[in-house]
Amino acid sequence: MNILLCAKQVPDDAVEVSMGADGKPAIDKIDKVVNAFDTYALEMAARFKEAAGEGEITVLCVGPDDAKNGLKNCLAVGGDYAYLASDEAFEGSDMQGIASILKDAIRKIEADKGIAFDIVCTGKEATDMALGQGGILLADKLGTGVITNVIAFDTDENGVSAKQETEEGYRTVAADLPVVLTISKPDYDPRFPKIKAKLAARKKPIEAVAADALSDEGKAAAGEGNAKLKILRSYEPPKKESGVKIQEESDEDSALAAVKMMTEAKVL
Amino acid sequence: MNKQDTKGVLVYIETAGGAPVKVSEEILEPARQIAAKSGSDVTAVVIGENIGDAAAQIAEKGADTVIAIDSPDYKDYNLDAYADVLRQVIDDVKPEAVLIGATQDGKDIAPKLAAAFDSASASDVVGIDFDDDGNIIWTMPAYSGNILYDAVIEEARPQIGTIRSGTFKKLEEAPKGSVESRDIKAADDVIKAVIRDSVKEMAESVNLEEAEIIVSGGRGMGTKENFQQVVDLAQLLGGVVGATRPAIEDGWIPRNHQVGQSGKIVAPKLYIACGISGATQHLTGIVNSDYIVAINKDEDAPIFEVANIGIVGDVNKVLPVMFEEIKKIKEEA
Ligand SMILES: Cc1cc2nc3c(=O)[nH]c(=O)nc-3n(C[C@H](O)[C@H](O)[C@H](O)COP(=O)(O)OP(=O)(O)OC[C@H]3O[C@@H](n4cnc5c(N)ncnc54)[C@H](O)[C@@H]3O)c2cc1C
Repeated sequence: MNILLCAKQVPDDAVEVSMGADGKPAIDKIDKVVNAFDTYALEMAARFKEAAGEGEITVLCVGPDDAKNGLKNCLAVGGDYAYLASDEAFEGSDMQGIASILKDAIRKIEADKGIAFDIVCTGKEATDMALGQGGILLADKLGTGVITNVIAFDTDENGVSAKQETEEGYRTVAADLPVVLTISKPDYDPRFPKIKAKLAARKKPIEAVAADALSDEGKAAAGEGNAKLKILRSYEPPKKESGVKIQEESDEDSALAAVKMMTEAKVL
Repeated sequence: MNKQDTKGVLVYIETAGGAPVKVSEEILEPARQIAAKSGSDVTAVVIGENIGDAAAQIAEKGADTVIAIDSPDYKDYNLDAYADVLRQVIDDVKPEAVLIGATQDGKDIAPKLAAAFDSASASDVVGIDFDDDGNIIWTMPAYSGNILYDAVIEEARPQIGTIRSGTFKKLEEAPKGSVESRDIKAADDVIKAVIRDSVKEMAESVNLEEAEIIVSGGRGMGTKENFQQVVDLAQLLGGVVGATRPAIEDGWIPRNHQVGQSGKIVAPKLYIACGISGATQHLTGIVNSDYIVAINKDEDAPIFEVANIGIVGDVNKVLPVMFEEIKKIKEEA
């Protein structure tokens, strides 16, 4: 089974982002991490591969040069090969643009290696822009089926069967291979890299995919100039002001004081 | 689609159990705003089986025309089928904008349509406005809601937006529209994924989005037994129970109680946060609450930055006293 994971690097989601003096979100100083949902996808793919006892996981990222660090981390926790699609021509792409770049990169990797990917997986959304569109747009371009919000999947001779999380439970969804899966948070956490795996990952190459891999369709979609959705401005939402803190002699007294204030504020 | 050829707003009405979901009614409000701006109409589309009542209801709630596609074929939701039916309606109606509630399924349909028309979709929209040329300005959250951004889709049509629940209010008064039944089949070759089984795991439905009072518990509750105090207080106040992701992952309460980025975005009159640190993914879901009370033993916990009342103390000591005191007040009233 050949699995391709689309992974993106984002600012650490534990850090609160504020606006910078240049009118853009100040993310330069925040540590970059692999998008949480992509790490869940990688863990799910790695477990699938381990259970099957065969298969390879290729990780593909569209992003700037420093996304290599994220790819190295992926190689330390289950990824076998890594590709970085980085080019000035890709900068400022909207989601349709990114999906086109991913598709062309996937076709190029498949042609170069003489393989075909059976499963393309990615996080259900990224923690920075949280659009939740990438997997669906990519499936459309690849001409495959797509199953979103997946928390478990398996394959058999008929294709793939996936457990799709819903608001009230789950659905079992089946599709032929190849397929695109977008992964939500399963009830386990991604593994931490072992030191040995980390060292080995550092030595593995990260292959480059550049703008010359783009098809005509890809060229027409990639880059800021082709973006259909244009960002005008970013800003911080109005902050909720903090009120009073209560810390009396005892927790019991604090509780009583709080209830008194809540009664006065007529919120009960 | 050519921008010049498009006119009007198309709204996709999602249903559950034969009735429109709440956000589907809410999106008729921005739909009317957009239609008023361009002097055009609002067309709503309902797909399913036995959706006649839902269609009639929407005709009273702000749609000029409701296209009802009622067929056993659409008894169960299927992304590929529903999106293809919508594609055909859009091809016919040629709207300038398509609005969809930002439910899980709605957020899947939107990029499907964006792909079909080589257009663009704005995700999880929390506000709309117009620029001088009458273009829609879509406001969206980024970085767990710490940043908002405005964007336009200048040329690509139809432009698509998924609207976050609670952003708009259902229209109080609306022009009366008409219902038109249509028989539209999804193309044979579009269905690439099939739902074999659909399971409702959560026994009760949890209406966090409309709740006026929410009592939420986090990892600081310590154990499932202690978490019961959160449930008890919610019950006493006639409110709904909320939870953070760790409380859910520890199995203290089912997943449909989750509040935050990957859970529900809530806006109650009163939100009581018990043993919750206030991570941005949680705060993004609660900042529209009118009044927030937080109990945390760490005086530097970020939750206090948004709390009207911050109680610094052990939640397992504070909650029982609070419960008894509020009970007393309720009994006296
Ligand atoms: C992609 C992504 C999506 C996410 N989506 C969500 C989401 O939708 N909703 C969500 O909630 N989280 C979400 N999270 C998780 C989020 O980042 C935080 O980890 C989570 O909100 C923390 O939950 P908590 O406050 O219960 O736990 P903690 O952060 O562990 O906080 C526990 C708090 O309890 C306090 N405490 C401990 N003991 C006591 C005591 N005896 N008395 C009083 N206080 C006590 C501690 O001081 C601490 O502040 C998401 C994370 C990611 C990466």
